[in-house]
Amino acid sequence: MSLKLRKGMIFILLLTSFLLVATIVLPGGKKPEVVEIVFSDWHLTEPHWEKALKEAFVIFEKENPNIKIKLDPISYGEKETKYTTEIEAGVGPDVFHLHAYSIKSFMEKGYLYDMTPFVKAEGPGFTDAWYAQTIELMKKEGRYYAIPGDFMSMVLYYNKNLYREAGLDPAKPPKTWDEFLEYAKKLTRDRDGDGKIDTWGFGTIGAISPGFELRFTPILFSHDGSYLSEDNKCSALNTPEAIEAMKFFNDMVTVHKVIPPGVTAQDPGTVRTQMANEQIAMLLGSGWTPPIVDTNNPDLKALEVLEAAPVPVKAGIRPKLTTTAWLSAWMISPNTKHPEEAWEVVKFVTSKRMEEKWFKDARVLSSRKDVSGEYDELLRDKFAKIIAAELEHAKFVPQLKEWPQIIEAINTAAQEAFTGAKSPGQALGDAHDQINEILSVYRASGEKCPSF
Amino acid sequence: MNPSRSRLRTFRIFARPFSHQFQGFLFVLPCILLLVLVLGFPVATAVVNSFAPIWSEVKKFTLENYIKLLNDKLFWNSLKVTFIFVISTVLLHLGVGFIVALALNAEIKAKRFFRLIAILPWTVPDVICGLIWRFMYNPTLGIINAILMSAGVTTRYIEWLASPKLVLPSIIFADVWRGYPFVMIILLAGLQAIPREQYEAARVDGATTLQELIYITIPNLMRVILIALALDTIWQFRRFGLIYNMTLGGPGHTSEILSLYVYKHYFKYFNFEYASGMAVVMAVIMLIISYPYIRMIARKA
Repeated sequence: MSLKLRKGMIFILLLTSFLLVATIVLPGGKKPEVVEIVFSDWHLTEPHWEKALKEAFVIFEKENPNIKIKLDPISYGEKETKYTTEIEAGVGPDVFHLHAYSIKSFMEKGYLYDMTPFVKAEGPGFTDAWYAQTIELMKKEGRYYAIPGDFMSMVLYYNKNLYREAGLDPAKPPKTWDEFLEYAKKLTRDRDGDGKIDTWGFGTIGAISPGFELRFTPILFSHDGSYLSEDNKCSALNTPEAIEAMKFFNDMVTVHKVIPPGVTAQDPGTVRTQMANEQIAMLLGSGWTPPIVDTNNPDLKALEVLEAAPVPVKAGIRPKLTTTAWLSAWMISPNTKHPEEAWEVVKFVTSKRMEEKWFKDARVLSSRKDVSGEYDELLRDKFAKIIAAELEHAKFVPQLKEWPQIIEAINTAAQEAFTGAKSPGQALGDAHDQINEILSVYRASGEKCPSF
Repeated sequence: MNPSRSRLRTFRIFARPFSHQFQGFLFVLPCILLLVLVLGFPVATAVVNSFAPIWSEVKKFTLENYIKLLNDKLFWNSLKVTFIFVISTVLLHLGVGFIVALALNAEIKAKRFFRLIAILPWTVPDVICGLIWRFMYNPTLGIINAILMSAGVTTRYIEWLASPKLVLPSIIFADVWRGYPFVMIILLAGLQAIPREQYEAARVDGATTLQELIYITIPNLMRVILIALALDTIWQFRRFGLIYNMTLGGPGHTSEILSLYVYKHYFKYFNFEYASGMAVVMAVIMLIISYPYIRMIARKA
């Protein structure tokens, strides 16, 4: 190869490398007139929600011609992973949606844009539209990092046709856990006469899943139990109430067998499919349950066949707080290049008219008082009125950045008890110790927690 | 100095940068830069992070993450589960891959069609494979129990993924279904490189099929088998998507492999520094495992 040719090839190689780097490193051209906001939500993977959001954004773009919305669907299970990775990399959607489960961790890691100037610019009383306990969770040291979205209590859903078949009165759902167990046993039967059980009384989540918390917590709270001590420095799983709640939960699987086999592999989607196929007669759910069950099996006519009732309580006690609430929130990425426009999107999706639309289209209740407390269609709905009424008996789980690790320890303990790997007491005891270890960061040196 | 020799010397000095070796280096330079950017930077960040306190904004050097690792029962459990998973799947990939490769190496009709069928599982992404098998293993809705019950093999709903005893074998089975084609392809290529004359000569001498296998096939394939084993072990150690979608490590940590445990600490608990420590330990283990393979390749080069 001649010297000239070699030099030429080297030159071309170096030029190509330089151009490649330049396209990556150098900033783009002048700011466009229309701003694109990337909007990410797991609801975009649910057909009824996707339709509702797309309709909403047609309205938004008409009212805000300088803002274009780009939709970014994400699976529910993967949203934290995706957002964490993107935000750490300096990119990510401008506006995204999270469950309250993750808000504290995201706040502590600095993954949320400080919306306080925008909130203050809306004028005094702007946040009065929301339930106080929901707005409080959006704040850190007095500053706003999110705006609340869906807010719904967990309730008991049951199939009234299966109730009738089993000789139970659908107008009289169980009020205590003892009644619930009796109902569940009657509902667990062989319906097609082939000698195998094909319908079980109750379905629940036993897989490692954020959905486990929403299903176990009502059982714990309605037994008057708690996860942590009042000061959130120690586990409270060593109390008789917590032990009884875990034993009850476990016995449904191992002793009474009113839950379908394979509970430790059952995630929210599986349980809803079981409800849609009439493999289970009852489950704990909230506003999202009927439309999803209906989508899974339209032939069931879930909106007619399902009924809702408050979560049962332990007989003989009247705990004030018997259930927990689902809360979601909207936030802006700290990496957004268009915070004002992103704020307009957040304001839009949490506005009264949009929250009413979310209820109409997806049957979700709102953290806005002027919707969940006043919207006529919501208050007349057979499911929503129960869910709204139970909000006063609902308590959030502890809001700590360590919460995902804590709840997974309890989720795992439940699995170990279900499978017989450990007794319920032993499993709960190990979870108790693990949680105390996790919470040691909040205790002074020498400060100890009660043992199990 | 002789002017012509001086010019030649000058030319050689000037020509040195354009030697074949240097040219080769320049051509791979963009790729190296990309690797440094994509791999080197995150690895360096992970190592630095692993020596920082958890959740602390003040980044001081500390060994607390590694000390915590030593006392973390769940870390050792995940290491144990990983080794069981890796050893089982690698050996089964080899066994099944070898048998299928032998079958596909035979002179049969529609050989290409059967080879295509044999490779198909490998084209299924890890995540999809996990989801498909999770549905199939469902005790009440899944096809496996439905078939077993229809055939009268069992009358009860077998909890494939919910039983601590069955979960790992169930996952291993799904992984072997998906993963054996990789080893099969390598072994098939090796089989086809064995000279036919050796088999013909052996047949003339009255060797049986088993003797051909033991004395001709396996010795000729030994190097290929070692390469397949080494590569497969490295890849199996990193396996993640399948188990994530099937069990997320449950029930009760019985299927929680190390990559999953690291993932949880990173993306679920946000314990970045602790997860980085585990990732560093995992990388060291994989370096040790892959060292014989790297040496083999380096010697060949």
